[in-house]
Amino acid sequence: MTTPLDRDAFPLTPPGGRTPYSTEAPSGPQTRPWALRFARVPDSTQAARVPAHVFDHDRQVNVSDDGGLLTCMANTHTPTVPDGSTTNPPPLDEGPKD
Amino acid sequence: MPGPVLIVAASDDWPTDRVVVALESRGIEVFRMDIADFPQRLVLSGRIDQASGWTGELATEQRTVDLSRVGAVYYRAPGAFRLPEGMSGPEKRFAAAQARAGLGGVLSALECRWVNHPAAMARAEYKPVQLAAARACGLIIPPTLITNRPEEVLAFATESGGQIVCKPVASLVLIEDSRLKSVYTRRLCPEDFADLRGIDTTAHLFQSWVSKEHEVRLTVVGERMFAAAIHAGSEAAHEDWRSDYGSLTYTRSSVPEPVAAGMRRLMKRLQLRYGAADFIVGPDGRWTFLEVNPCGQWDWIQGATGLPIAGAIADDLQGVT
Repeated sequence: MTTPLDRDAFPLTPPGGRTPYSTEAPSGPQTRPWALRFARVPDSTQAARVPAHVFDHDRQVNVSDDGGLLTCMANTHTPTVPDGSTTNPPPLDEGPKD
Repeated sequence: MPGPVLIVAASDDWPTDRVVVALESRGIEVFRMDIADFPQRLVLSGRIDQASGWTGELATEQRTVDLSRVGAVYYRAPGAFRLPEGMSGPEKRFAAAQARAGLGGVLSALECRWVNHPAAMARAEYKPVQLAAARACGLIIPPTLITNRPEEVLAFATESGGQIVCKPVASLVLIEDSRLKSVYTRRLCPEDFADLRGIDTTAHLFQSWVSKEHEVRLTVVGERMFAAAIHAGSEAAHEDWRSDYGSLTYTRSSVPEPVAAGMRRLMKRLQLRYGAADFIVGPDGRWTFLEVNPCGQWDWIQGATGLPIAGAIADDLQGVT
């Protein structure tokens, strides 16, 4: 059961990430939310892959393979262009939610 | 010397890197943690008694911060607790709830400057709350319907001359059938109303279509406002700029004083020090409020326009506005 404490006191990204992976197929028109009729797989042709990087615990920032800081939105300049990867869902323009 | 700044953010939140760098370049002590660090990389030891409020420390292998010295907290989309392998499901749920109430509770109780306090963020993330607050603060909002009743959708469309949009009330992305999908704002056409099965399955949000000359991402940090005009270069982007980033161009913009005053009232009402607000600017120059995200992205706007948002966040954490 979700309590007010869970909901309001300390919102976190849910376990499994904000966009949990699923192999389930859409249901039928009687049960599928109407708005999902307009769901589409994003155009991944505009997407830029995030470069390889690690979190440097000493410096408290992410660094790329050459040791430099990541530039604007991790060098992509396309912050929320989804690349269609289910393991790299786009950053959402909203906060953590359960 | 001001107290250290505690940053609570996902370790892969790259914009937060810029805030860390800005603060450290000013000589401010920073302790960055992700909730996912707890309990395996992060140690909490907190005490409270009649004589004093929460004292103790947060510690990692690299550094320690004294809870009683924390001067400000930057809270931005941390990850979930990462619990030890081998726990059973019930044990994990129990441990996660204890961690949330324990670590989350101690952090939430810190009496210092927050950008933003998680309780305020949680409430402000509800679009219906935002719309009601914006209206009360004197901002113009589009007529809006939230319903699971199909006939109500038809009536609203008729009242709006058939010019309405449908948009998610909450998250716009999902993964189903092993594919990532997005649900952007959709300007509805007559054929869309022919079959409304599924409206009754959950809450749906509809708004009157607002004619737009361009849109504005208004990033508010403390008392400062950074307005970036977003110009759509395609039909898709004109409907929802998030659907076609490649076609967008950005310019710095100014904010009409009545809008700025309304936003100040709104931020105060929602108890936010940071917010990323979206407005439509009509051909007549009228600004219509769409939403304000307490955790909205800002780094790409800074990159595209040069607006000094990271510095402003650092300023606000230092109490310099």
